[in-house]
Amino acid sequence: MLKKIAIHQLPDLASGLMGKGTLVAPVRQDAGFQFREITDAKQVDLNYHNTVISPKSVFFPQTEDFVRYRTGRPMLEAETVEPEGKPLILFGVRPCDVKSFEIMDIHFSGTGPVDPYWQARREATTVIGYAFDLSATAEPEEFYRTLGIGAADPEGSDVFMVRRGDELLLKSITARGEALLEAIDDLAGASADDGKFFDDTVAAGRDFKTRFACVDAKAVTKKLEDLFHNTEFWEKAAAACLSCGVCTFACPTCYCFDICDETLFGRGTRRRVWDACMFTDFTLEASGHNPRTKVYQRLRQKIGHKYSYHVRKYGVISCVGCGRCTRYCPVSVDIFSIVEEAMKT
Amino acid sequence: MAVSFQQIEERLRNEARRLLESGEVSLMLAWGKGYDENHPMPYVAKCPSDADGIVFNEYCTHNMARYLVRYPRGTRIAIAVKAADSRAVVQLIQEDKVKRHDLVILGIPAYGIRNPKTGEVVDGRTTCGLYNPVLYDILIGEEVHGQPASPPYTVLAEYEAMDKEARFAFWKKELDRCIRCYACRKACPMCYCDPCFIDQSKPRWGEKSPETAGNLMYHLTRFHHLAGRCVDCGECSRACPVDIPLYLFHKKVAKDCEAMFGQAAGMSIEDKPVLVHFRAEDTDNILK
Repeated sequence: MLKKIAIHQLPDLASGLMGKGTLVAPVRQDAGFQFREITDAKQVDLNYHNTVISPKSVFFPQTEDFVRYRTGRPMLEAETVEPEGKPLILFGVRPCDVKSFEIMDIHFSGTGPVDPYWQARREATTVIGYAFDLSATAEPEEFYRTLGIGAADPEGSDVFMVRRGDELLLKSITARGEALLEAIDDLAGASADDGKFFDDTVAAGRDFKTRFACVDAKAVTKKLEDLFHNTEFWEKAAAACLSCGVCTFACPTCYCFDICDETLFGRGTRRRVWDACMFTDFTLEASGHNPRTKVYQRLRQKIGHKYSYHVRKYGVISCVGCGRCTRYCPVSVDIFSIVEEAMKT
Repeated sequence: MAVSFQQIEERLRNEARRLLESGEVSLMLAWGKGYDENHPMPYVAKCPSDADGIVFNEYCTHNMARYLVRYPRGTRIAIAVKAADSRAVVQLIQEDKVKRHDLVILGIPAYGIRNPKTGEVVDGRTTCGLYNPVLYDILIGEEVHGQPASPPYTVLAEYEAMDKEARFAFWKKELDRCIRCYACRKACPMCYCDPCFIDQSKPRWGEKSPETAGNLMYHLTRFHHLAGRCVDCGECSRACPVDIPLYLFHKKVAKDCEAMFGQAAGMSIEDKPVLVHFRAEDTDNILK
């Protein structure tokens, strides 16, 4: 099903969606765009390139409470926080970020133990993807094409949006998406010409140019394994790295977390909080031993995990080329340049 | 400037080649090519042929003094510094984190350096705004004469006009945005504690999650730990992915510190770190 709506009617679309569930969409904030729960339909703003923090935070928030307790009380009084399953509409996700959900599913619900918090939100969410603007050039940090992701790939979204002039075309990709589009009143029917434009955009998205040539995941996997003991290479690659956590926090496919008990004024929560392999204490063991004390060891782990170990174990590179790690790195460490350099070594 | 960025780049390369060839130093800290022209990145030259990788352009904001403590004591290091960066080197020498005789300091007088993220000129609004390095062995370029176009503390006027409640509300709003990536402390040349207090678990000084309590604990402690030590290079604020104006607090503390003790951080190698140097004539205003 293909529908359309004028861009100036975006608030109408947003309020329609708000009637179907909690709407989470890009909002302009003090420091750039972020996905936020919409309380006023006018907040939704499609004039963004991408958000600072990836939409993974919608399914896997930076802080997630599991148990709430009060100190000095019997353990039985502690209460478990149940996973939320309220209907959620995630609006305006870029194709590379949509792809990241599939990769994250591997860890949270696809293999081994299922994370009920992730799964409940994922199942209750309708994803509305949004194509990048193909009339502009890609940002210098992006390289999703290198990883085989198009700038307008609708796969993975329930509804996919493409902008055509002053109109927004919305196409249902799944049955859930179709049901949602049917239930929104303000949408107009689209013409055959719109349908052609939509399909052409999807096709053009596959030829859209971002940095780097395409990679052979298997070759990269092997190469990074071979380079593991080449300390000189990794020291050079990590010479500028500050070992902060911006790259991992902004990343759509980084999923490491820590479980902490945080108590303040007698009230406490057992919660998970994002952690980062770039932090010194990430690998600190109870004995005091730390297997990764050096910056190069931590950066090697991050790159190895994404482009080598992950491929070996799950068959897919754990990166979607959104470019956030490079864009927000205070010293411009460029992850894929390091992979490219490795291939030349 | 009388000397162009390109000429500075050329001279940095020549000096690097000479210093590494003669064995005077075992590495040189400068800037190198990043993923595009607007994003040069910190660079370490270890052999004469690495010298050609050195880059200097208007986006070389990074304070290379940050990397000094990464190398074992006694490593002979050449370091390229702009004005504020040189203050960090001086402060690190004062705090005995590096030895003066292990360093060859290449001072670069510069203005018109731009923040790669915003394109804005980095001046006294977000840094100390000085043009000339305060300490160097080799001058790359020519000293710039005249007062900085924007003095370091004018930007504080609006902040200082706020009362206590307004200031708290201001910082709460700004710091609530923090995602605790710790880019600020990692970019800071003076943040070298290992482990940082916020990473300690016994005792745990602050919460790990990015919420008001933990964020205030982390930032307010860090702000105060840098009292009299912050050289106002602005790296913390430029590193921040969510644009928290950390420099405002640092500037305010630096200004108060200067007023109370008549000493700004890292301005002279003869100075002792202000908060560990007791003098009978010191003001006791801090206790009021």
